[in-house]
Amino acid sequence: MKDNHAVSKRLQKELMELMRCADKGISAFPESENLFKWIGTINGPQDTVYAGHKYKLSLEFPNSYPYAPPVVKFLTPCFHPNVDTCGLICLDILKDKWTALYDVRTVLLSIQSLLGEPNTQSPLNQQASYLWPNQAAYKKYLDEFYNKHKDS
Amino acid sequence: MAETSEAQASASASAPGGDAGGEDDKRDERMLECNICLDTARDAVVSMCGHLFCWPCLHQWLETRPSRKVCPVCKAAISRDKVIPLYGRGNTKQEDPRNKQVPPRPAGQRTEPENNSGFPGFGFGEGFHMSFGIGAFPFGVFTSTFNFGDSRPSAAPHGTAQYEEEQFLSKIFLWVAILFVLWLIFA
Repeated sequence: MKDNHAVSKRLQKELMELMRCADKGISAFPESENLFKWIGTINGPQDTVYAGHKYKLSLEFPNSYPYAPPVVKFLTPCFHPNVDTCGLICLDILKDKWTALYDVRTVLLSIQSLLGEPNTQSPLNQQASYLWPNQAAYKKYLDEFYNKHKDS
Repeated sequence: MAETSEAQASASASAPGGDAGGEDDKRDERMLECNICLDTARDAVVSMCGHLFCWPCLHQWLETRPSRKVCPVCKAAISRDKVIPLYGRGNTKQEDPRNKQVPPRPAGQRTEPENNSGFPGFGFGEGFHMSFGIGAFPFGVFTSTFNFGDSRPSAAPHGTAQYEEEQFLSKIFLWVAILFVLWLIFA
């Protein structure tokens, strides 16, 4: 109970920080009264094939936050080498490279930059990984995929 | 009329100044925030790499990953003995409930100045003593082995099977002892 209090206190601080100095292209807010579940949005980074796309994500914070990372998932289907069909993200800072210093803001910024710089060495989505070197074809496929799924 | 407007002007002029002061205060406060709970550091400790934490926060961080103890900020190696507690002037004794669950933060390490001429070998005193103890063992075996053949009341007479056996055993023990010594020297 005490720990829970510490976690919600930290999450409140993060929320205030996020609202005070909003970064371009990312936002996040608790889903409801529950501070442990947030909805974030990421705009596809400029000068990448993802430019102009907008992605919704869910962030769930464990009771051991910030000692353990939040569970982050894409809600908007995302065609990307490191995102699987369920929206799970393969990103080192959300796993073994996590440190207590990271927060909602840095997590969302990292995912945003992951969009433009995928790691095609260990892909979750093989098709996206194969297609990535051909950026023109990738963009075409991505736009179709996005328009088909963006409302789901 | 002019006076009021002037007063208003000065009031409005001073307002941003006051805000700026508030910003500065806020920045100063953030300087002393724990990097984990983002709150003003309580029971503050600072790592060798210079990063500030509450001791309870840092302790919990170290507990959650005992195999990989790194600074949450810069990922430098960090440990319980490698942090320095910060004792401010307003060191009141407010008991924090979490303090009871974590060990008290490590005490400051206060090294006496000068006195640099101490015997340098003391640093590894324990290891030294231990290896000496093991080293003495084969010599004990040696002495007992070499004394074995001397006039012992129970020594078997020459030529009997028991005598042969004893000679054989003593040779084995001698070789074991030699091997042990060689192992100690070369391992």
